[in-house]
Amino acid sequence: MKANKKNRHVYWNPYFGGFLLGLLIIFTFYMTGRGLGASGVMKSGVVTMVDQVSHEHTLNNAYYKKFVSGDKSPMNNWLVFETLGVLAGAFLSGSLAGRIGFRVQHSPKITVKRRLVFALLGGILFGFGAQIARGCTSGAALSGMAVLSTGGFITMLSIFGTAFLFAYFFRKNWI
Amino acid sequence: MGPLIPNGILSQEWNIIIAVLIGLAFGFILEASGFSSSRKLAGVFYGYDFAVLKVFFTAALVSVIGLYYMDYLGWINMSMLYVHPTYLWAAIVGGAIMGIGFVAGGFCPGTSICAVAIGKLDAWVYVLGIMIGVLVFSEAFGTFESIYNDTNLGNITLVDSLGLPASWIILAVTVIALIAFFISDVVRKRVKKVFY
Amino acid sequence: MINRKLAKILSKRYIILASLLLIAALGLVLLPSYQKNENITAENLLAKVINPERYITSDVLADNIITNDPSIILVDVREVDEYTAYTLPNAINIPLSDILNEDYQGYLDQDRYNIILFSNENFKADQAWLLLNRLGYSNLHVLNGGINGWYHTILNPPKPTEDMANEAFELYNFRRAAGLYFGVGIKAKEKKVVKKVVKKVVPKPKKKKRKPEGGC
Repeated sequence: MKANKKNRHVYWNPYFGGFLLGLLIIFTFYMTGRGLGASGVMKSGVVTMVDQVSHEHTLNNAYYKKFVSGDKSPMNNWLVFETLGVLAGAFLSGSLAGRIGFRVQHSPKITVKRRLVFALLGGILFGFGAQIARGCTSGAALSGMAVLSTGGFITMLSIFGTAFLFAYFFRKNWI
Repeated sequence: MGPLIPNGILSQEWNIIIAVLIGLAFGFILEASGFSSSRKLAGVFYGYDFAVLKVFFTAALVSVIGLYYMDYLGWINMSMLYVHPTYLWAAIVGGAIMGIGFVAGGFCPGTSICAVAIGKLDAWVYVLGIMIGVLVFSEAFGTFESIYNDTNLGNITLVDSLGLPASWIILAVTVIALIAFFISDVVRKRVKKVFY
Repeated sequence: MINRKLAKILSKRYIILASLLLIAALGLVLLPSYQKNENITAENLLAKVINPERYITSDVLADNIITNDPSIILVDVREVDEYTAYTLPNAINIPLSDILNEDYQGYLDQDRYNIILFSNENFKADQAWLLLNRLGYSNLHVLNGGINGWYHTILNPPKPTEDMANEAFELYNFRRAAGLYFGVGIKAKEKKVVKKVVKKVVPKPKKKKRKPEGGC
């Protein structure tokens, strides 16, 4: 399947996308003084669900305690509203370009099941790591680099460095 | 002047509206640049598609240069911006684990949300995996607490740790980024050009 | 193969864009660094210095203290030993050398109470006033004459002679009454027990600038 014109709408030039993203980050910092973020919403979701199931457990656990306060629900958080916007924005862009549809995207050399298994594994590892490092690529790395924070740089170098090192083991999935 | 909401120029209620608008633009840009596709994201590690590198570095450079110019003109107060805290070992260990997760699943949380919106089922599974990962971490928090809270160097910036003035650091990163862009275009492997 | 690739990336528009970015970064390096003046300008400061409205006289201050005016804070900028020897009732001690200490900013950097600085004469109090104005604080006043002036007007008021106007006599009576309130008689030798007054604890009403929150 070649990338011909009558196919789906092509992606933007990556430099253009990066430029717009940079302007967006400046705007975000100017308005709210904080950067973007993405993994915080999953953490809030988990904390809310555990809280619903058993409230004492959240109070006993040293990690949940930080995010559960008496009056505000942990979902009442800047990141959650931002994520709602991300969902809407991506949906908008996808529908304008005709990319909406339920499918599993995988390399033609592997099966659907293998792709899903690896997606689950990757997700577990990423969620785990994001809690330790207190951020993910958007929150720590991108917004951290925008203010030249040392933690952001170290996190970004660590993520991409390790991924390069371990890429060999997963090559069957992609190439 | 400065970040508007912490300075009280806009009231707190605007925070939510602005969050949604910013998220809207963020999702739109990410999806339109192709970041909802896991094959495109993993391409940077195998040398067949360098979109991640280009977008990342360009965004970081534009935002850093823009913020410092605004600081020079007095439109923003840099000391009031949130600087990500530096926990040395936590960043390295967490980053390593995240790197493996990235190359295995092919997504990062921000792009996986975009992919969820356009209906990719592997992104749904990925988000589920992240939640399970968070759960596992919090339940086993006792064992990892020492790494989590280790070596807190505070909210330091590169200016403090390297001792160089900020403009030199920005210049160095710009040069490195431009060289990286050049090399990535030269090195790009001859893979069958598929739309993914 | 390689030549065609190179031809594409070295195409005009990418070179222009790359050089724009490089020029922007270079510009940031070459910008003359200057001392960002976020505080009051010299002209504003001069206007404030010349304006004598910051001075408050001992009579007005005595009146405020007697009527228990809740909106004032008295700040003694002398050293600690002078403060413990004698000071105005309910005054807090912030020595001039220590005035930029973090702990005291809660008292100084706010706009609810009026701060009245005083020292032995006007000198140290004026210096403190100038410093705090440079930091942009407001509601600052200086006790005209300081402790010495206080002594000579309130505690030991000069007795008016017969040919002075009526107001002078009224002022003298007022000052004597105030002096009695403050527990010191006309004769400095009489050591009356100074009323032990409770130190007013000022709740820190500092307008905190909200630190932005952040996260992953």
